[in-house]
Amino acid sequence: MRKAAVIGGNRIPFARANGKYARASNLDMLTTTLDGLVARFGLADERLGEVVAGAVLKHSRDFNLTREAVLGSRLAPSTPAYDIQQACGTGLEATIAVANKIALGQIESGVAGGVDTASDAPIAVNEDLRKVLVALNGARTLQQRLKLLGKLRPGQIVPEIPQNSEPRTGLSMGEHAAITAREWGVSREAQDELAALSHQHLAAAYDRGFFDDLVTPYLGLTRDDNLRPDSTVEKLARLTPVFGKGDGATMTAGNSTPLTDGAALTLLGSDEWAAAHNLPVLARFVDAETAAVDYVHGRDGLLTAPVYAVPRLLERNGLTLQDFDFYEIHEAFASTVLATLAAWEDPGFAKERLGLDAPLGSIDRSRLNVAGSSLAAGHPFAATGGRIVSTLAKLLHEKGSGRGLISICAAGGQGVVAILEAAA
Amino acid sequence: MIGLYAKAAAGAVLPRPSSLPDTVRTRTVRPTVGRVADYAAVCGFPLSDVLPATFPHVLAFGLQMELMAARSFPLALPGLVHVANAITLHRAIGLGEELDVRVHAERFAAHARGAQVDLVSAVSAGDTVVWEGRSTYLARGAHAPTGVAGELPEVATPEGPAAASWALGADLGRRYAAVSGDVNPIHLNPLTAKAFGFPRTIAHGMWTAAHALAALQGRLPEALTYTVLFRKPLLLPSRPELVTERVDGGWDLAVRSRAGVHLAGSVR
Amino acid sequence: MSNDRFRDFSNGGIAKRLGVPRIPVLRRYAPGQPLLDGPALVAGSGRFAKSVAALVTEEGGTVVDEVGEGRVAAVVVDLTDATTLDDLAAARAVLQPAVRALAPSGRVLLLGPSPSEASGVEAAAVAQALDGLVRTIAKEARAGATANLLVVDAEATPAAVDSSVRFFLSARSAYVDGQVVHVGVPVGSPQDPPALDSPTEKRLDGRVAVVTGAARGIGAAIADTLARDGARVVAVDIPAAGESLVAVANRTGGTALQLDITAEDAPARLVAFLTERFGRLDLLVHNAGITRDKLLANMDAERWDSVLNVNLRAQLRITEALLDSALLGDGARIVSVSSQSGIAGNRGQANYVASKAGIIGMVRALAPVVAPRGITVNAVAPGFIETAMTATMPVATREGGRRINSLRQGGLPVDVAETIGWLGQAASGGVNGQVVRVCGQSMIGA
Repeated sequence: MRKAAVIGGNRIPFARANGKYARASNLDMLTTTLDGLVARFGLADERLGEVVAGAVLKHSRDFNLTREAVLGSRLAPSTPAYDIQQACGTGLEATIAVANKIALGQIESGVAGGVDTASDAPIAVNEDLRKVLVALNGARTLQQRLKLLGKLRPGQIVPEIPQNSEPRTGLSMGEHAAITAREWGVSREAQDELAALSHQHLAAAYDRGFFDDLVTPYLGLTRDDNLRPDSTVEKLARLTPVFGKGDGATMTAGNSTPLTDGAALTLLGSDEWAAAHNLPVLARFVDAETAAVDYVHGRDGLLTAPVYAVPRLLERNGLTLQDFDFYEIHEAFASTVLATLAAWEDPGFAKERLGLDAPLGSIDRSRLNVAGSSLAAGHPFAATGGRIVSTLAKLLHEKGSGRGLISICAAGGQGVVAILEAAA
Repeated sequence: MIGLYAKAAAGAVLPRPSSLPDTVRTRTVRPTVGRVADYAAVCGFPLSDVLPATFPHVLAFGLQMELMAARSFPLALPGLVHVANAITLHRAIGLGEELDVRVHAERFAAHARGAQVDLVSAVSAGDTVVWEGRSTYLARGAHAPTGVAGELPEVATPEGPAAASWALGADLGRRYAAVSGDVNPIHLNPLTAKAFGFPRTIAHGMWTAAHALAALQGRLPEALTYTVLFRKPLLLPSRPELVTERVDGGWDLAVRSRAGVHLAGSVR
Repeated sequence: MSNDRFRDFSNGGIAKRLGVPRIPVLRRYAPGQPLLDGPALVAGSGRFAKSVAALVTEEGGTVVDEVGEGRVAAVVVDLTDATTLDDLAAARAVLQPAVRALAPSGRVLLLGPSPSEASGVEAAAVAQALDGLVRTIAKEARAGATANLLVVDAEATPAAVDSSVRFFLSARSAYVDGQVVHVGVPVGSPQDPPALDSPTEKRLDGRVAVVTGAARGIGAAIADTLARDGARVVAVDIPAAGESLVAVANRTGGTALQLDITAEDAPARLVAFLTERFGRLDLLVHNAGITRDKLLANMDAERWDSVLNVNLRAQLRITEALLDSALLGDGARIVSVSSQSGIAGNRGQANYVASKAGIIGMVRALAPVVAPRGITVNAVAPGFIETAMTATMPVATREGGRRINSLRQGGLPVDVAETIGWLGQAASGGVNGQVVRVCGQSMIGA
């Protein structure tokens, strides 16, 4: 089977929630990002195989979001599109969907990614009110309507604001991550160090023009506004922990990702399609794996599914954890990355939980998130996969050889991981 | 601005001059993202780094009202009907550009059914005119001393199948009033609409024009001329259809319902 | 774009009654438009008269050999064989009634011999006299009419002047007035006739063009115009201008390249991009430019360097890198945007003027070097062009800039773009090392 080519990508700079993009909708951002991609690759009026994207926080008006974005863009309206959603795994899962169709020869080209806004998050009406409203809509007579309206109580008017918490545990993602951090003894210093590096790496990548052909400005923003190029371990050490309890609390706003708005997309195609359009092949999409853990009743942490997904992916591809030139591990929290690495190094965990004779071992940390990651760039949930795939593909293209590993944890105890290799 | 309507209504019976004032109303404005986003959301435009092509009309509208509500204006504001509108966007206008808006009146002339006048708006960035608008109003039964009314632009009415069906709520007039400043009572409340002879509230013509243009997103040139004729009032709530037809050099469009054609427009 | 309020006013009824001089509305090119909107008088006994007449006929125009009752849209006098004062007097006899009959936005185009090739003193004097003559016709012409001179080398054939004759007769040259352009034997291998097939409508069909500074203003107009004429445009601008650049690229069906042209690796990145995406480059338009005005007495190194780096150093480096690559082949064209200020100097713009004058030096030095490879290098020098930049000038400065030229108005970005399109044609290989002003025959620096 042929492997899908990663041709390039586009994203808008990520903005902290309620900031520059406070008034932009998912559709606004996704359409703009798509138009930027069209311009970068000269695809105006082209019909592509398909566009697959999604958003985690969706309004009912975001119905058929991706197709609507295509219709509003300069792509040919004959380009099909659909939405998917797998929490923070959305962007990468969309890439897998497109890459698989290309590999099977069902399509020759496609765009994958996602968008999210935490500023323009949907606010739902209270469940009781919703029931009355639905009934009201179905009522036929004025009498019926008045009777239904008579049922309303003031308390029912209070809206429900979406919570960044797991439906089954009631804990926030940060609180879940704090449990895992404590379990693995991840230190505050190690977390702050990872966070500072993320900022420094992202700033350096911007400074050397790395993002010139990956990012298009939007609404006056030219770089991710969460980025603090002067970030240091010392500065981060002054912040007060916000997740976890008591003296053992280590997770701060500095070593956790902020709520962010943004969109990211990746262009994929067959080698033939790329050649016919004189487009570069930056990397090839090799394989992917998705895992899930029982974080509700079982022993695993909410964001630890990649720990399981990666060994399965490595085994299927006959690779070891050390066979990679780049590691792109999504920084939901600094502690998540560090706990994941610790789990792969732990012989006991390998034997008891992963069923392996030996642990996967440690990685060369100088190969980790070398162009920055979510702690610095921010994390508009569904946009992160597209950001990482495009970034890694370009890193591999620059190096001219080797392979990279992507690992993204997602709500619901899920994890999506993938391998990219440099195009020969 | 409600005040202007009240004042104008009170002054409706007072004697009026028989010619147009020389007045040119001006203002300088830098639209905020919030204001543009509100307008875009109500009209159906995407929020991007450039203003929707119809947005400058709301920047000029307040000045139009001041001019028309003044005692020096020969026609009474209540009862003026917006019959046609032409917009020329010379280049995309960036969000955040400072804009000078100038409005004056011209072509005041007799019409078979009354008197007609054009309110002409120009929006400049620096000294370059980037947007121009011409809003034609008809005062039924009014009298103009001289001249023959300027010809309304010729616009085709495409008759093909509907491109879209719009479900328009009763509150649309209030929502557009909030983002445009056009608080004409005929758009706000069924009772006030009745007072002016409409069975229910009616949609703003410029909202209808804006929403129709928004439907062509991604298929419009940077610079364009958008001409619309307002045919029949569009009562709210209602479910009209949009018809679009690609023609040489642009688009023809129409908004219609069982009641007839409400708007015919052309984009070039 | 109707942004010249005085021009509009001057054409209104009130102005007529007040006796305000009319500012002509120039005829400008639109696809499908005929070359001329009236008959052309073609005269002279040089070797081009016949081919010019054929060209006009081929474009659907009418050729007359003397002025009759009506107006003429163009007057072409081939004086390439003029060597004596008698020849010059004969030219007067043709031109005198012809300029009287010239229609609004009419064209006077003279073809003359090169003074440096003249066989004797009188012949050289006559050749030079045409230079002054055409500049005077331009100054006396009314209602948007222009006058220009092609100085043609003895060895040049009719094919060599074809694209230039078409340009100067057409509405594309609306704001090019009083110019003297030298046309020699085309560089490189002789053009295949098919390359000249559809010269008017899609004169750049399939050519790959890079336009720097393409996100807005004149650069965006260049991208639009080149794309309209069939070019595949790569629109280049700094990353911060990315969103406007996307709009330009998508509406021209081209490609956006976010690139800071002053970056150390910018030339290499541009070469790599073009190699990968197109494998060649047919037209390089150096348009990106910035201003940081200050009197020289107050000019610090930062202001100086930033302007020189963008406006000149980047051009030198990018041109060198592209010439070193295999991308620019036979028929490739380089056009650089200089400025009227680069010719005349301008108070408060020492840095800008130095950069724009430097471009002229670059073009003249490079032209003979690249000619053997079939490449030409030319500059356009815009005068007062109505852009967002000029819109912010003080009123007096702006009005002054607009009016002190023979057409008594500012030009439009598209006027610069049309001129670049002409120089960018494969068929324009006879024009090399020239500086063509797009200034309505401005008095500044003339």
